[in-house]
Amino acid sequence: MTQRSVEHSTIVLERTYDASPTRVFAAWSDSKALLRWGNPGEGWVTGMDRFDFRVGGASSSWFGPKDGDRFVSETHYLDIVPDERIVSASDMTVNGDLRAFVGMLTVEFHAAGHRCRMVMTEQGAFLDGHDMPANHQAGWTKMLDNLGEELASRAAA
Amino acid sequence: MPERSVAHSTFRIERVYDATPEQVFAAFAEPAARRRWFIEGEGWDIESCELDFRQGASEHSTFRFKGGPLIRNDTTYHDIVENERFVFSYTMEVGDNRISASLATVELKPEGAGTRLAYTEQGAHLDGHDNAEQREEGCRQLYEALALELERRRKAA
Repeated sequence: MTQRSVEHSTIVLERTYDASPTRVFAAWSDSKALLRWGNPGEGWVTGMDRFDFRVGGASSSWFGPKDGDRFVSETHYLDIVPDERIVSASDMTVNGDLRAFVGMLTVEFHAAGHRCRMVMTEQGAFLDGHDMPANHQAGWTKMLDNLGEELASRAAA
Repeated sequence: MPERSVAHSTFRIERVYDATPEQVFAAFAEPAARRRWFIEGEGWDIESCELDFRQGASEHSTFRFKGGPLIRNDTTYHDIVENERFVFSYTMEVGDNRISASLATVELKPEGAGTRLAYTEQGAHLDGHDNAEQREEGCRQLYEALALELERRRKAA
């Protein structure tokens, strides 16, 4: 008999990138870019089975250590304002059908001179102790670092 | 050019019902029951209502309050554990404006001969169109309507 519990938590991370809101938004709305920077673990493998970036659309991606746990994330897009805001809801399952997390992500893109101040808020429901906010804090911190590198490496493009 | 903003909030409502977790769950899962307590109400004119309480499924409904602008609710179920818990996301639109996106968790636990329902809503209130206080009050009224529905079913049984 599974002991049921839900832990609710909100994570807010803010970064200012040397890129326009348009470029930063593009890095969130392009599947190839997402595969490059959206990997939360060092050396993890990742892939995308479906990508339908529109309100009402859904995407499906997977990631994990090479020979370890396999995480699958299903994302539904709730609100998109081009170059300004994305709101989506995702659920994460581990190794098949163990649902560990459901969360809503808000990403806001603000112009700050020639740069973009990006604010990311993840409001999460952590299910039955299979996942915890500290994991997401660490994972997002790494991904937002990766995003900075992605934007810098493509700046001349 | 609309002023873009997002206000995040979390609120929690708890209520004990004189019904078993199975009966409370059924009030959500059965379309006819849910339509009665969740959708219908004095002053509300329902224009469309598509209910589908299944994991991964989406629901859509449109309605007007006392002849006002068209209001739209789009809901997706991310996690359903029969008689115990479900997690869903939903957006609300009023006329041409999306006013909110929310993640909602309903937990059902037996308490004595009844059920304690805990509703947690983690919301993103968009562009100043609504706020957490209004939403919380609206939800409290819904959970009172659920009490009436459960009482009606108990008397009819």
